[in-house]
Amino acid sequence: MNPPGNVRLEGVVKQHGAFTALHGIDLEIQPGEFFALLGPSGSGKTTTLRILAGLEPVNGGRVLLDGVDVTDAQPGERDVAMVFQSYALYPHMTVAENIAFPLKMVRTPAAEIERAVNEAAAKVDIAHLLARRPGQLSGGQQQRCALARAIVRKPRLFLLDEPLSNLDAKLRVETRAELRRLQRSLGVTAVYVTHDQEEAMTMADRMAVFMEGRIIQVGTPKSIYLQPANVAVAAFIGTPPMNLLPAQLRDGTAVVAGASVPLRHEGAEARDVILGVRPGDLCIGQTGIPAIVEFVEDLGDSVIVNLQVGEQRLKARRDPQGPPLAEGQPVGLSFAPAAAHVFDRETGLRL
Amino acid sequence: MTASAVARARARRIALWLVAGLLLAVWAFPVLWGLLTSFKTERDVLAYPPVWLFEPTLNNYREVLFGSASIVPNLWSSLVVSTLTTALTMLFAVPAAYALARLNYPGKRGSGFYVLATQMLPPVGLIIPFYLVLQKVGLLDSYSGLTTIYLTFSLPFAIWLLVSYFEDIPYEMEEAALLDRAGRLRTLWYVILPQVRGGIAVTTIFVFLNAWNEFLFAVVLGGNNVRPVTVAMFNFISVEQTQWARLAAGAMLAMAPVIVIGLVAQRHIVKGLTVGAVKGGGRR
Repeated sequence: MNPPGNVRLEGVVKQHGAFTALHGIDLEIQPGEFFALLGPSGSGKTTTLRILAGLEPVNGGRVLLDGVDVTDAQPGERDVAMVFQSYALYPHMTVAENIAFPLKMVRTPAAEIERAVNEAAAKVDIAHLLARRPGQLSGGQQQRCALARAIVRKPRLFLLDEPLSNLDAKLRVETRAELRRLQRSLGVTAVYVTHDQEEAMTMADRMAVFMEGRIIQVGTPKSIYLQPANVAVAAFIGTPPMNLLPAQLRDGTAVVAGASVPLRHEGAEARDVILGVRPGDLCIGQTGIPAIVEFVEDLGDSVIVNLQVGEQRLKARRDPQGPPLAEGQPVGLSFAPAAAHVFDRETGLRL
Repeated sequence: MTASAVARARARRIALWLVAGLLLAVWAFPVLWGLLTSFKTERDVLAYPPVWLFEPTLNNYREVLFGSASIVPNLWSSLVVSTLTTALTMLFAVPAAYALARLNYPGKRGSGFYVLATQMLPPVGLIIPFYLVLQKVGLLDSYSGLTTIYLTFSLPFAIWLLVSYFEDIPYEMEEAALLDRAGRLRTLWYVILPQVRGGIAVTTIFVFLNAWNEFLFAVVLGGNNVRPVTVAMFNFISVEQTQWARLAAGAMLAMAPVIVIGLVAQRHIVKGLTVGAVKGGGRR
């Protein structure tokens, strides 16, 4: 049976020499949650995961698991399991021995080990590979083996460090769903590190967006997508990313490239802002912000139109059934007032 | 392929064989000459011009094995010193190499350099200090004394050879084991050591061979009790005469274990020498 698996980080600071990797991280993860740590490389997400695992000491703050301070506890004392990016399978052991290893280390009776290994292997579909060695497995199979080794001892916390990054694109998408299903069926808390926003969006119950050693925003993928806290998050989440345009805010409208577009920010004082619009929210017509069609990418189910507004490049997603657009064609861009994201140009914060 | 290309390829192969043959001859000549000499009588040895056809005799072997100048006790001495040295070296070198490769502790760089620096000292410069030390503590001409001195060069050698094997193992492997609740020691035992098995085998062989072949320290620090076979052979050379045939027979006997080990472990040794040359080439 799984202990609850509640995670709390309080003001966690991590320094590598003069470089500060984490500037005081506060985070709470609920039992049973699939929680993603999302951010570009070097943003501190993997460091946070390794601190949870106990593989990195902290320079300040506390780590609590189920209310118990484990800041100084050894990795083995925390009852957490981890799947490494490289899988870190033991090359000299068979798949069965790899999966059995965590149980063997706590002196589980042999019969119990065998039962648990078979059960874990069946869960990830590698029951037929138990006698092989990691070197004889494909990347996907190795990844499953690493998963089985992690779930076999029923940890209270499941840590995953970019486990899908070594798989090819097709397998990655398949494995996403499987991983999610597996985590649900086990009911275990999972913390998942990724730099792939699509992965985080599709898998996570909630996520934290990391930038330069700080958590910028925590929330459900939906809420972060709809209400990015600042320009950096807005630019990071969504494919293609959000269009960002310098604009002036004036009497509830934004002035972009000479055109005035209505917003919902009535009464706000006049200031320089950055206007963000998702590609899917941009409508291409005759009126609105003047733009030139650069080129068109047909994805089959949708079309990405690359546009130029002054010096700025924008992308718009539209229905492939719409009227055809020629390269160099002048068009007008518009969007619903509710679809606009407005950020302060100085601070980058959402207004 | 054109006819000229075929001819060129053949010429190149012949040249390669010639060079290889020449090198082999240069290397093998003393060994083969020694082997021939060991079956000659002393008279045939000194014949001039050298005789190529002679009546082989086993007398020299009989003499060095069972005669008054038997080297069997010396072979035993060599075996004891080499085995003791190898066992103790590996006992200390494995954990030391692991620590140097993996752990962070104050003075790590310094201790790493110290280990390397001890390898740079010319052994001949150490003989007199070693002699004085052993004399003071009363360990001249004793197994423990000579073994201790052998450790001073075999340990740094073994540590440096092993460090590269430990460094080859990804950190994550160890971290995975720590998370699997193995703890430091069991991680070393179950996860790390099995993966450096090859390196440990190679190092063991090298340390044993180095100790077995050692002469300089043995001749000065040994004596009547502890006289390894390398020193004993030297005794066939005296002021009055040099017993070349017996010396050769002794040398053949002393070389036998080295050659056997070399043949058995050939594959490992070649791998061991090229460790680090190719990424991951030394492991497994």
